[in-house]
Amino acid sequence: MSNRRLIPVPSDQLLPSSVSRRGFLGGSAIGVGGALAADMHAVNGLRAEEIAGELRRGEKHVILLWLAGGASQLETWDPKPGVKTGGPFAAIPTNVAGIQVSELLPKLAQRMQLTAVIRSLNTKIADHGRGADLVERGRLDDPGLRYPDLGAVVAKELGRLESTVPDYVSLYTSTEGRRKGTSGFLGARYAPLFLAENMAPPNSALHEKLTASEHQDRAALRDLLSKRFTAEHRGSTVGSLNSAYQRVQGMMASAGLFNVEQEPAEVRARYGPTQFGEQCLIARRLVEAGVPFVKVARAWWDSHGQNFETHLELCADLDHCMSVLLDDLQERGLLEKTLVITLGEFGRTPGINASLGRDHFASAWSCSLSGMGIRGGVVHGATDAEGHTVVDGEASAADLFATILQAVGIDHTHEYMVGSRPTPLADFGSKPIRSVLV
Amino acid sequence: MSLTEEPAVPAPAETAPFVPAKVTIDRTVRLPSITFCLARHQTGSRVFCGGADFGLHSFDTAAEKPETKPLSETRHSSYVTGIVSAGGMLISGGYDKSLIWWHAETGQQIRRIDAAHDRWIRSLAVSPDGLRLATVADDMRTKIWDAVSGQCLLTLEGYDQLTPHGFPSMLYAVCFSADGKRLATGNKTGKVLIRDTDTGTIQQTLEVPVMYTWDPKARRHSIGGIRSLAFSGDGSLLAVGGMGQVGNIDHLEGKSRIEVFRLPAGERMHEIEDSKYKGLVEKLQFSGDSKWLLAAGGDNGGFLSAWSMETGKLLAQEKVGNHLHAFEMLDDRRLVTVGHDQAALVTLSAG
Repeated sequence: MSNRRLIPVPSDQLLPSSVSRRGFLGGSAIGVGGALAADMHAVNGLRAEEIAGELRRGEKHVILLWLAGGASQLETWDPKPGVKTGGPFAAIPTNVAGIQVSELLPKLAQRMQLTAVIRSLNTKIADHGRGADLVERGRLDDPGLRYPDLGAVVAKELGRLESTVPDYVSLYTSTEGRRKGTSGFLGARYAPLFLAENMAPPNSALHEKLTASEHQDRAALRDLLSKRFTAEHRGSTVGSLNSAYQRVQGMMASAGLFNVEQEPAEVRARYGPTQFGEQCLIARRLVEAGVPFVKVARAWWDSHGQNFETHLELCADLDHCMSVLLDDLQERGLLEKTLVITLGEFGRTPGINASLGRDHFASAWSCSLSGMGIRGGVVHGATDAEGHTVVDGEASAADLFATILQAVGIDHTHEYMVGSRPTPLADFGSKPIRSVLV
Repeated sequence: MSLTEEPAVPAPAETAPFVPAKVTIDRTVRLPSITFCLARHQTGSRVFCGGADFGLHSFDTAAEKPETKPLSETRHSSYVTGIVSAGGMLISGGYDKSLIWWHAETGQQIRRIDAAHDRWIRSLAVSPDGLRLATVADDMRTKIWDAVSGQCLLTLEGYDQLTPHGFPSMLYAVCFSADGKRLATGNKTGKVLIRDTDTGTIQQTLEVPVMYTWDPKARRHSIGGIRSLAFSGDGSLLAVGGMGQVGNIDHLEGKSRIEVFRLPAGERMHEIEDSKYKGLVEKLQFSGDSKWLLAAGGDNGGFLSAWSMETGKLLAQEKVGNHLHAFEMLDDRRLVTVGHDQAALVTLSAG
C-alpha cells in the first residue's frame, strides 16, 4: 500500500456520507455552525483502502502539556546542582535507579517508570514565535506551504470515523504567547477547537428558547425530510450535510465534557484548585470520550527575572497536576492508549542574569514523554556539565516530531501529496529517538 | 579581579546631623558568584558574604586592593542567603534549609543544623545583643534560636502556606527592633507580622498588598513580595521594601517601593515609589537618628538610594553595579554593598 495520501481535493469533491463527518467541522473558535460552513471546501476524500485502516484505528490519544514561554530544563528534567549554572535546587532521585530530576518535581519523580526524558533537544531557535512554530510543527514553513502542527496531524491520523467529539482541542486561557495552532495544508477541518476565554466550546448550548425535546423533534423532522429528499436526489452532498448535522448534534452533546462540575468532588479535589488542574481534568475527560489530541497550554514560564521563584510556583503546579493526570489515566486504563508530553518552545539559559532570571535558550534543553508507546524510566541524551551544549544524542524538532508520531503508531515517513509535492508527516531526514520508544 | 583604585573619601568633620546628598562608589571588588548576604564581624574591617557558589567568602574593606578569599572548604549545599555575626561567631543559612555556625577567623565549622527549617531559609537576623537569631523560611515559619547554643527557642506560625491563588507562598524578610524586643517578618503576599520576641505573640499586622503582583490572565503566576524590613532606632517606624505592581512579570520591571509605617499606630507614613530605578528593594536601614533611610536593590542594575523620613523625598541616589542584594554600614557614612557579581565600597557625603 502506498504511504502517500492525497491532501488537497477539489472543492467540489465531497465526502461520501459513509466515510466521515469529521471533515465538516474544525475551527470551532468561530462556533460550530460557522465551522461547518467554513470547512466545506476543505473536505478530504479518504481513499477506499484507507477506510479499512480507519476502522482499525484504536482509541489513541495525545495530551500535550504546553509549557508556554519556555520552562527551564535545569529546574525540571536536567538538573545540574552544584555548578555555577545549576541554580539553588537540588537533584532528587526518582523511583528509577540512576535517574534524577529537579527537587521541584517530587511527585513526578515517583512516577518516573512512566516517563522518558529527552535531555538533548537542540532546536536552535530561541524566539517565542518561531521557536513555537518549529517545535509544534517539527519544521518551519516553506515558502507557499504551511505545515500542520502536531495536533492537526494527530487529529487527521487518529481521528475516528463517525466520531461525535472534536479531534483536536486546544486550551490556552492565558493571553501571553497565546497560539491557536494551525492545521496548515491539511485545511481548517483539522484546526483545533480552540478554547481561549472559556473552558467550554462557544455556541454549543441549545438556543435559550428551545427545549431539548424540541431540539430532538426538529432533528427528527430534518432527518425525515432529508431521507425523502435523498430518495429522490442521489448525491453525496445530501449525505455530507446529514453527517454534518449529526456531528453538530454530537458536539452539542459533548459540551458537557468540558464541565468539570460533572466530576465527583473528590476527583476535582485531587486535581487541585488551579486552572491548570481543571484543564488537565478536562483533558482526561476528553480523551476518555475519544478525543485524539488535547493541548493544555500552561503559561507563562518566560522567567527573565526571578526564575527560581517562577519555577517554585509553576513547577509545583506542573508536578501536582501532571502526576494526578498520569495516575488518573492509568487507573482508567487510558495511559497505555495516551501519550502525555511536556514541551515548550525552548528551554532557558544556563547562565543566570542579574535579575536572577534565565533567558531564552534552544541549544540544549529537555522534554518528557509518558505513557503510550514510551519506554518509561529512560533518559535520552545528555548535556555538558553546565548545560551549555548537547554532548550526546542530539535531537532536533523534527526528530521529536517523528518520535511522538511513532509512539502513537503513526508512521512518520508517510507522505501527504500536497498538490504534486510529496510531504512526509515528519520532516525529511527526521529520525525517531528509538531509545525512548517501546 | 576587577578593582578601581580611587581612595575612600574621608568623612569631613561636621557637627550638624549628617544628611546624605551624594553617593560615591570608591572601589569595586569582583565577587566569585552572585552574592546575596553580607555581615561585618564585630567591628573589624573584614566582611563576610555568601551566595550562589554555596560558600562563604571574606574580604578586607580596608585593604588597598581588597581580594576575596573563601572562609572554608566546607560549604552549604545550596545558595547561602543569610549571614550574621553573633556571639563571636558567624552564622549562615541557606536554601539547603541548614544553619551553620562558623569560627570567623579560622573558618572552622562549629555547629551545623541540617534541617533548621523544612524549606528554603530566606533570611537571618540577629538581635542587637547578639544572643538571639531569627530565621524565616518558605515553610512559612519564623524561628528564634539561642545564637550561642543553637537551641531553637520558638517556632512561630502565622502565615498561610499557599498564596490566595493556590501556589506556594514564601517568607522572605525578618528584622529585630533596635531594643531587641520586637521582630518583624514579611511574606510574599505583603503581610507583615510584628511580634514580641520573648513570647512570639503577634502584636501587630500590617498589609502591603501592592508589593505582591498576581497576574491572573496573561501569565498566571506571581512576582514580588516583601524583601526587606527595618525598624528605626527608636522603634517608632517600620520600613517595608519590595516592588510596586508589575505589568510584565517576566521581568523585575515594577518600580522599587518602600512603605514606612508609624508604630504602634500602624498608619502609613510614606509610600515611596522610585521614578528612576526599578526592581526589588532588598535591603533597608535607617540612619542612626532615623532621619533618613538607606535602600538598596535593583532589577538587572543595582541602586542605592537615601530617602528623607521627614518628607519622603529622595536625598541621594546612584546606580551601583548590578542588582544589589545587601549592604553593611562600616561607619555612619561608608558602607559596603554586594550584588550580582561585585561588591562596592561606597561613601555617602553631604554634597
